[in-house]
Amino acid sequence: MGRVDQASAPVAGHTPARAGTGRTSAQAGTGRIPAQAGPDRTPAALLLALAIAFALLCLVSSEPVNALRLLLTGALPEPRWSAEGGWVLGRLARFGAVLEKTALLTLLGLGMLFGLRARQFSMGADGQMMLAALAALAAGVAMPPLGGASWLLAGAVAVAVGFTFGLLPGWLKTRFEANEIVSSLMLNIVALQAYRWIVAQGFNDPAAGFLATPALAAAARPPLLAGFSALLLLIVLAPWAAGLVLNRSTVGYELRVVGDAPAFARQAGLPVARSIVLAMAIGGAFAGGAGWLLSHGLLGRLPADLPAGLGFEGLVVALLAANEPRRVPWAAFGYALLEGGAQAMERASDVPREMVLVIQALVVLAVVSVRLDPLAALRRGWARWSGGAAPGLPGLEARP
Amino acid sequence: MTPFPPMPSQASAETLMDAATDAATDATVDASARPSHGPALDVVGLSKRYPNGVLACDQVSLRVEPGEVHAILGENGAGKSTLLKMLYGLVEPDAGEIRLDGRARRFRSPADALAAGVGLVPQHLQLLASMTVAENIVLGAEPVRRGRLDRAAALAAVQRGMRQHGLAVPADARVGELSAGQQQRVAILKALHRGARLLLLDEPSALLTPQESERLFESLRALAGGGLTVILISHKMAEVRQASDRFTVLRAGRVAGSGASRALSPAQLAALMMGREVEPLQAERVNARGRSARLALRELTLLRPGGRPALDRVTLDIAPGEILGIAGVEGNGQSELADVLGGLARPSHGALMLDGAPLRAGEVAALRHAGMGRIGEDRLHDGIAPELSIAENLAALDYRGAPASRRGLLDREALDRRAREAIAHYDVVAAGPQQPIGQLSGGNMQKLVFARELAARPRCLVANQPSRGVDVGAAQRLHQSLLALRDGGSAVLLFSADIDELLVLSDRLAVMFEGRLVAHLAADAVSPRTLGQYMTGALGAGPVEARIDSPFTPATLQAGGHGGSR
Repeated sequence: MGRVDQASAPVAGHTPARAGTGRTSAQAGTGRIPAQAGPDRTPAALLLALAIAFALLCLVSSEPVNALRLLLTGALPEPRWSAEGGWVLGRLARFGAVLEKTALLTLLGLGMLFGLRARQFSMGADGQMMLAALAALAAGVAMPPLGGASWLLAGAVAVAVGFTFGLLPGWLKTRFEANEIVSSLMLNIVALQAYRWIVAQGFNDPAAGFLATPALAAAARPPLLAGFSALLLLIVLAPWAAGLVLNRSTVGYELRVVGDAPAFARQAGLPVARSIVLAMAIGGAFAGGAGWLLSHGLLGRLPADLPAGLGFEGLVVALLAANEPRRVPWAAFGYALLEGGAQAMERASDVPREMVLVIQALVVLAVVSVRLDPLAALRRGWARWSGGAAPGLPGLEARP
Repeated sequence: MTPFPPMPSQASAETLMDAATDAATDATVDASARPSHGPALDVVGLSKRYPNGVLACDQVSLRVEPGEVHAILGENGAGKSTLLKMLYGLVEPDAGEIRLDGRARRFRSPADALAAGVGLVPQHLQLLASMTVAENIVLGAEPVRRGRLDRAAALAAVQRGMRQHGLAVPADARVGELSAGQQQRVAILKALHRGARLLLLDEPSALLTPQESERLFESLRALAGGGLTVILISHKMAEVRQASDRFTVLRAGRVAGSGASRALSPAQLAALMMGREVEPLQAERVNARGRSARLALRELTLLRPGGRPALDRVTLDIAPGEILGIAGVEGNGQSELADVLGGLARPSHGALMLDGAPLRAGEVAALRHAGMGRIGEDRLHDGIAPELSIAENLAALDYRGAPASRRGLLDREALDRRAREAIAHYDVVAAGPQQPIGQLSGGNMQKLVFARELAARPRCLVANQPSRGVDVGAAQRLHQSLLALRDGGSAVLLFSADIDELLVLSDRLAVMFEGRLVAHLAADAVSPRTLGQYMTGALGAGPVEARIDSPFTPATLQAGGHGGSR
């Protein structure tokens, strides 16, 4: 996205594109012009974010280097050597938690992505996930094991509930012109309180020791693969399915056209209203998948005080991935890794929790700042300092 | 912008350039009679590369003498606008120098340029419609008394300026009520009020009627006679010869030639602009009298929210295999008529019929399904999805079924194949079917819009400003496509602000003024001048009918009505 193909630059046919060295000499009048930086500036933005993080750590910590090391590697498995066993990997449980969070964020990120691609800001992933989780768990508890396949049926229930609940903001928007941001946030409140009410008022297990739903029987849960729930495969399968729907299906085509150029979609006769509703509903289906992962993959029983706000982390992940399905798991993994590292830093260094959250937020901010290109800024500074004519500001005139 | 491969005719263009330069030497003799004055503007080796890698200006040099009207010619994307922006401080050059009256200048912002005596009249005038002429002119350099605008002083200054420069506009009228030509005069007065000695005009005649253009050029000549230096950007060859003393042609960011404007014919100028010769398009006119109507509109009326009609009893027919051109100053109902025919607006009353069957007004999908095609006036707004690929943009009308998709899944290979064919057929400059269409130049985008609309084989196509912002070569390709569509039996309704385009392509013409059809004309028997008189409301009251067998509006006042000007 946003790539500029040098070969397609209209002047290329006449003028060989001259790669500049980053310095321009107006006096000599040689016409050497600095070429534009490469399109992918994410690594540079990450480095800048870490530099800022390190500067902040220097202010609040007596051991900033150690704190930064923990932030970066605290959530990764640690190779350890012992005399008896040779090399072993430590902290696997912690890494397992990172993978579980990655799967959850992948599904929630995909849940936000469909709406965003159709230019709809439905914030309803939280509520869709909670209701879907509860429905999947209820189905899992109520159903016979079906030869170990009931978890798949429960997944279908979760996806259907997410889809249906996701339909509502779109229907309200196209039917009654209700702003989807407001309506989806309100529906989140409805979903959250309905969830708590149901769990508190009857669908709970007195033997659990805390207010929670009954637990799924072992036979009702998906099989384990290498010690992890098979549902972690959704890290790979869900983006694949999302990519198929978005990029290959006619429904996905419609919603991409509607999102990119609504006026064009209208004049070409595309079903704009239907696309808006479906975009949010398909997103709801993926958020429903997150609910299924929560009930069947991660928890096995649902506490009444399931934390709200996971949906918004999904929004951040979708934005980090620039709304590309195949980038979502990577963004989710990076986000989970950062979160895990931040927790490790909080536990094992003197950095206070508040600063941990600030640093986490700043790193995300640097990566989502589309126009932020530290390398280009450095080049401009260098050109000015070295006395050449400074190139113009980027973005002022992107298309002559 | 379309890069053309080097062609044999390139050589002839170079020869032309030499001839032009010789003529220019003759023309500058009288300028050298005043040795105390250097050039008013001396541009040396100006270069600009945009952040996206496009080298918009490459070592551009030009000299303009004081009191000269200098035209800068070039196709879209040749670097004209970038040059202008650099002269006005909107874009900073990467290399090169701008000298005004012998002094090297560096403009970091338009404020610097204004202070140095450079004024700009942009193509889309930036005036405040709800404020008066005087207020608009003094805005930014207001006479102030006790911290407040001194209205009396402002009015006096504006009227003094109008007298001095011979430009008359009612000073206390609201700008929104003025015609396009009058608004342009306001913009020029505004620049002069700020003390401009070098006036830059970006395509000043783009939105004017022929009469208004003539008046504008007379005014510019008079101003130049008074010592003002004028640079005007244009891509109309005839206009350059008429309005300017000397010219500079830009091609692909470089100076391709310069000289005295009258030394070259329009065809020679066009060859210099494009780097090859252009054959003028010769279209056979179709006489459709006696045929039955493909598209029929009866008493079509669209009321604005206030009750004033945007369309007033429009009655017209178009036969299969015929092009009906609609002339008119923009904002006289053309967009509304195009919207109604595209299903985007519902008429207040009246009837629409295609081959005798009523159309379901206000339903885009139904109209498309019935065989109506649409090329909108603003392709970036509703003609393309800029971030989607060329292949996907071409699929917007037929993605629902084979061969574009099967069982709800797009057939990527079929889409790519079709895109490659369209790219080859329309000579589109693109990296490949997967390139986002928004990265292409305007002309290439428009060729693909045509490819998509024509592939749907519309029974009736509504083409609104089909070659706006498109260079000469691409425009000709588009015109050929429209004629081919007509010859294939489709009815075409053509809206254009470019009168030459209307006269070349149309079989019959109708003129729209304030929502009414005020004239029905044979396209081969009307002069641009007459057309201009109908367009400004000086002639005709309407509504007239433009049915296939309707009589043409009598040519009582047609002055020298002969042939399409080309």
